[in-house]
Amino acid sequence: MEVEVDDKDLKAAGAELLTDGRHGLHIHGWEIVSSKGFILNSSSLTTWEEKLKTSHLPEMVFGESCLVLKHVTSGTKIHFNAFDALTGWKQEALPPVEVPAAAQWKFRSKPFQQVILDYDYTFTTPYCGSETIELDTEKKDSGEILEASCIPCWEDCEEQIDVVALASKEPILFYDEVVLYEDELADNGVSLLTVKVRVMPSSWFLLLRFWLRVDGVLMRLRDTRMHCAFNDSANPVVLRESCWREATFQALAAKGYPTDSASYSDPSIISQRLSVIMQKSQKLKLNL
Amino acid sequence: MSDLDRQIEQLKKCEPLKESEVKALCLKAMEILVEESNVQRVDAPVTKIILNKNLWVRMLFGATNVSSRSAFSRLRLSLVPNDAIILICGDIHGQFYDMKELFKVGGDCPKTNYLFLGDFVDRGFYSVETFLLLLALKVRYPDRITLIRGNHESRQITQVYGFYDECLRKYGSVNVWRYCTDIFDYLSLSALIENKVFSVHGGLSPAISTLDQIRTIDRKQEVPHDGAMCDLLWSDPEDIVDGWGLSPRGAGFLFGGSVVTSFNHSNNIDYICRAHQLVMEGYKWMFRNQIVTVWSAPNYCYRCGNVAAILELDENLNKQFRVFDAAPPESRGAPAKKPAPDYFL
Repeated sequence: MEVEVDDKDLKAAGAELLTDGRHGLHIHGWEIVSSKGFILNSSSLTTWEEKLKTSHLPEMVFGESCLVLKHVTSGTKIHFNAFDALTGWKQEALPPVEVPAAAQWKFRSKPFQQVILDYDYTFTTPYCGSETIELDTEKKDSGEILEASCIPCWEDCEEQIDVVALASKEPILFYDEVVLYEDELADNGVSLLTVKVRVMPSSWFLLLRFWLRVDGVLMRLRDTRMHCAFNDSANPVVLRESCWREATFQALAAKGYPTDSASYSDPSIISQRLSVIMQKSQKLKLNL
Repeated sequence: MSDLDRQIEQLKKCEPLKESEVKALCLKAMEILVEESNVQRVDAPVTKIILNKNLWVRMLFGATNVSSRSAFSRLRLSLVPNDAIILICGDIHGQFYDMKELFKVGGDCPKTNYLFLGDFVDRGFYSVETFLLLLALKVRYPDRITLIRGNHESRQITQVYGFYDECLRKYGSVNVWRYCTDIFDYLSLSALIENKVFSVHGGLSPAISTLDQIRTIDRKQEVPHDGAMCDLLWSDPEDIVDGWGLSPRGAGFLFGGSVVTSFNHSNNIDYICRAHQLVMEGYKWMFRNQIVTVWSAPNYCYRCGNVAAILELDENLNKQFRVFDAAPPESRGAPAKKPAPDYFL
C-alpha cells in the first residue's frame, strides 16, 4: 500500500520513511516496518505442518507477512506473524464447532470405517503479539554479532488507551494492514487474523484482530490494541488492551438482531452486539 | 451479427447485459441444460481430417485457379492445429479479467472445447459478467463448452459470499440473481471425458459407487445440505484418512486414497479431475495420480499470489497443465483492494 504522505508532516514529526526498500518509517526511536508476502506454497506448508505438529493449517497462510515495531535503543521488538499465532491456536486447541447441517448429518447412514476429525478448524488463537528484546553487542575479536534475547514483561495495569486522543484527526504518517492468515471454513464462514497499524506525530496505534464467523452458529472477535505515545523525556510505555467478544446466532436472535450471515460481514460494525467475555489491560515499560 | 453474438462481444468487454436479455438468455440455456445428463459426456470430435505431406504439397502447388485457392484457404483455416480435445478449468469465482487470461492461454471457445468445473460466482468482483459470458457461450456453442455445478452455484451460498449483493448493486433488484440461481439448478453435476476421466466439482460420496447412481439423481433443485448431490459438490480428498472421514464441522465428507482407488476401478476410469480447493501451484495430484485438483483463479481474492492452472487433454488423453498468472492490475480495471488509511480504533 502506498499512501501519499506529506513530506512536511513527516519532517515536522521528526519521522523518516525507510529508504532501503522496506515499507516503514523511523520515528521517535522506533522503527516500524510492515512486509507482505503471498500465501505459503505446498512445500512450505508441509514444513509448517511438521513444525507445528499438525496436518491442518488455514488454506491461506501469509507466512512471510509481518508487522514489526522495534524500539531501537532498548532493543525491544514487538512483532506479529502467522507462525506464532498458529502456535497459539495449537496450544489453545478448542473443541470443534458443529455447523447447523451437522444435526441432519447425524441421521445419515455412516460409511464403513469413518474417521471423525476433531481439530479446531476455526483456527481460534489467543495470540496477542510476539515480543523479544534483542541486544546487539559486538564481539571485539571476531566482529560477530552476538544476539542476546529475552522476553519483555507485560504487567497488568489500570491505565487505558486514550481513545479521545486517538480520535483526533492528526495526520497519518504511516498506515498498513497485514493479513496473517485466513480460512473460508470450506464456505461455512470466515476465520481471519489481521493486524493494522497507524502512526501519527504523537503516537502509534495498532489493532490485531481475530475474526471468526461460523455461519448460523457463532461469532468470535478477539481484539488486541496497542498504543504508544511519543514522549521523548520519559521511558516509553506501550499499553495493550485485549478484548474478547463472542455471541451465538441463537443469542442474537433472542435479542431481536438479524441472523443472516450477510449482516455480519464487517466485524467493526457489529462488534457491540457481541458480549464481552474477557478484557484486560497491560503495559510494557521500555528502558531508554 | 446475431443478438447472441453481440451479447457475447459485449460480455467479453466485461459489460453486463440488460435484465431482459439475461432473462431471455437463461430461458434458452435452460432448454439446453435440461437435456444434459448428470454425468455429461465429453468426447473427441468424431471425424478428424489428417492430411499427409504429399497431399499438402499437391494442394499447395496444384491449386492454380482462383476458386480452388479460396477453397483451399477455407480448408486450411478449419485445420488450424489444435490437438487439445478439451481444456478442464477449476474455480473462477468472479475473477473476470483472470478468466480472460485463461481464454488467452487456452484459446477461444468454440475453437477450443472447454469444461468448467463450477464455482463461477462469489468472492471476486465480476460474478455477473463471468457467469453470463460462460452461459452465453454455452447457448451459442452448446457442444463446445460444458458447465457443471459447483457448491457456490446455490441460492444460499451466493447470498452470503457476494453474487447476490453484486446483482443487487448492478441491477438495483434481485431479478437477475433469481434468473441465474434458477439456471444453477439445471447445471449438470459431473462430466465424463472419453469414458476415462471423471470430472466433478468437489469429490466422491459414500452414497455413490457407480456413475449410474449419479445418473439417477434428480438434480433440478437447490443444493441439499446432505446426500449424494451435496457430497459431489462439497467433499474433499484428505491425506490423513484412507477410507472416509467426517469434517470436524460435523458435516462434509473427506475421502482417502482407498476410496478413490475403488471408485476408479469399479467405473473403469483413469483418474478423477476436481476443483473446489485452492492450490498455490494451480494443480495438485493426490493418491498416486488417481485424483487431481485443478484451480483456475490466479491470485485468489486479489491477494493470495497463487498461480492458476487448466488441464489440457489431447485426443489420446495425454495431459498437459497450462499454468497462468493473474491479469496485470492495470488491465483489470478492478477496484484495487488496497487498504485506505483510516482512523480505526
